[in-house]
Amino acid sequence: MTDTVMNAPVIKARGLAKSFGSFQALKQVSFDIPLGRIVGLIGANGAGKTTLLNAVLGLSSYQGELSVLGLNPAKQRGKLMHDVCFISDVATLPKWMKVLEVLDFVQSVHPKFDRTKALAFLSRTKIPQARKVKALSKGMVVQLHLAIVMAIDAKLLVLDEPTLGLDIMFRKQFYKNLLEEYFDEQRTVIITTHQVEEIEHILTDVIFIKDGELVLEAKTEALSEQFVELMVAPGKEVEAAALGPHSTGSSFGKTTCVYQNIDPKKLTGLGETRRVGLADIFVACMTGETQ
Amino acid sequence: MKTFIALVKREILNGKNAYVYTPLVLAGISLLLFILATIGFGNSIYLDELKNLNIQSNGSVVIVVESHENSSEVLKETTVKTRPATFVVASWMMSSLPWFSFPFVLFFSLLGALYEERRDRSVLFWKSMPVSDTQEVLAKFFTPVVVTPVVFLGVVIVLQLIMGVVLSGLALFQEGLIARDFWPISMMINSWIMALLFYLFWALWALPVLAWVLFVSSFATRLPFLWAVLPPIVIIAIEQMLFDSQNFRNWVGTHLGNWNADIATGYSINIEHPSEIFAVVGDILWYGATASLANGQFWLGLIIAGGLLFGAIRLRQRAL
Repeated sequence: MTDTVMNAPVIKARGLAKSFGSFQALKQVSFDIPLGRIVGLIGANGAGKTTLLNAVLGLSSYQGELSVLGLNPAKQRGKLMHDVCFISDVATLPKWMKVLEVLDFVQSVHPKFDRTKALAFLSRTKIPQARKVKALSKGMVVQLHLAIVMAIDAKLLVLDEPTLGLDIMFRKQFYKNLLEEYFDEQRTVIITTHQVEEIEHILTDVIFIKDGELVLEAKTEALSEQFVELMVAPGKEVEAAALGPHSTGSSFGKTTCVYQNIDPKKLTGLGETRRVGLADIFVACMTGETQ
Repeated sequence: MKTFIALVKREILNGKNAYVYTPLVLAGISLLLFILATIGFGNSIYLDELKNLNIQSNGSVVIVVESHENSSEVLKETTVKTRPATFVVASWMMSSLPWFSFPFVLFFSLLGALYEERRDRSVLFWKSMPVSDTQEVLAKFFTPVVVTPVVFLGVVIVLQLIMGVVLSGLALFQEGLIARDFWPISMMINSWIMALLFYLFWALWALPVLAWVLFVSSFATRLPFLWAVLPPIVIIAIEQMLFDSQNFRNWVGTHLGNWNADIATGYSINIEHPSEIFAVVGDILWYGATASLANGQFWLGLIIAGGLLFGAIRLRQRAL
């Protein structure tokens, strides 16, 4: 019995769609996200990331089938939030509250909140606990929110652009904390961000979304094996193009070609090959000429 | 239940300027004026017998206070029987200032309840908590409509008690005054309970109007004040122009307090002494309560209020 529960996907979507008037923000997407993953949901602005997440979090209506931890998010948001946490793309902590009052409130409504843990996180920051949220810097607000979220024993954590507008030091620390002190095989984390290269190393899975459709779902490891970039040696351009690159570009006066699922032997002699970063794979998928 | 209490606490914390500081400041001003009047000007205080109390058939209580040049003379003449009641009536009048702010606190609290959280985006934080929208909306209705008047009454009670203490102190120095007369405790408690009961029926009648204001705050993306006020005005104007009637205006008026006059028709009393006022107010309350429960408009209003609250809950479920 527990096995089926354990193996059941955290999120199961079938033909999930959402329109705003005549604009289709999500076009019948289907996917499963299992437990114990850190999934990067990556897409350009307006690709449908937030629409998708809002449906998952029970913040908006939708068409199609969607189950999150076995619940219907549109109808059971209150119940769902026992096991789901989220930080959305804008600062949402109530500005009029003092830091400790926020903790008091969460403690009084959330049975899975561990105040001691939250205070331990806070003690490592410079956040003055008697201050109001509006008096904190942007970075402090994010740290506070993260301290609260990490002190909640949830199964699914959704972070929508959590580090937007923060400096690099904060961002590194943020993901470090997340990976080292929060994530385990009993939890799933979904992250959207534009700074793909910063989270690349912590992601176990990636989903690319474009114009309301999922264009790629893969494990990160498999992905870096799938894609390879070739710095085409001078004079080999025609041969390289003949192998059907996923996308082509140029850097330092050399043509570069990104190939998907290609036999490495075919590239021997055509130039130097190298691993492709997630950001480049994303760009290749979004702008790929073969698409 | 624990969650609901936490939500109410949060609402009070959020609106503590309106809910707590406003009545406190006004009570402070009342007390200051009172102390200036009693101590600062020595003999010229007012403690006066309320000679004529007319409860007119329109339900409102008109109190005529006659002033006397030498009030301490009057006090001497005041019979032991009427003085405690005089004091209770007078202390309500002296502590009435905080109540003037109450309708504004009520209206603007309801108007901002679901609007501000969307404007500052904190709605997304509240929604990340395991709290249903039904509980949220009900807490945001319950706090201004039920908790606030209790807070106001509490402040007024404390104010009345302090005034009693001041007058008792004064009595020590004035001939013919007995400190005990300023402590008609049972009568004071009686008046507090009556005030609560009166509010209860006022609020039940006003519930559709109050729920309308909360409903507006759940959908207005901007200018909630205009949303709350303009549609009723437009309806009243259109009805006036097309049908030359005032049914809607009367309906709103009835629910905002005229019910009292409507169902108290023919109820006319002349009060000789302040001591009689409590019996009469008690009668009116009892009469108003029973007549309300037998009144179709009363129940219709409650049903409309329920519908508007349901609408506010549905809208909050999709609020971002």
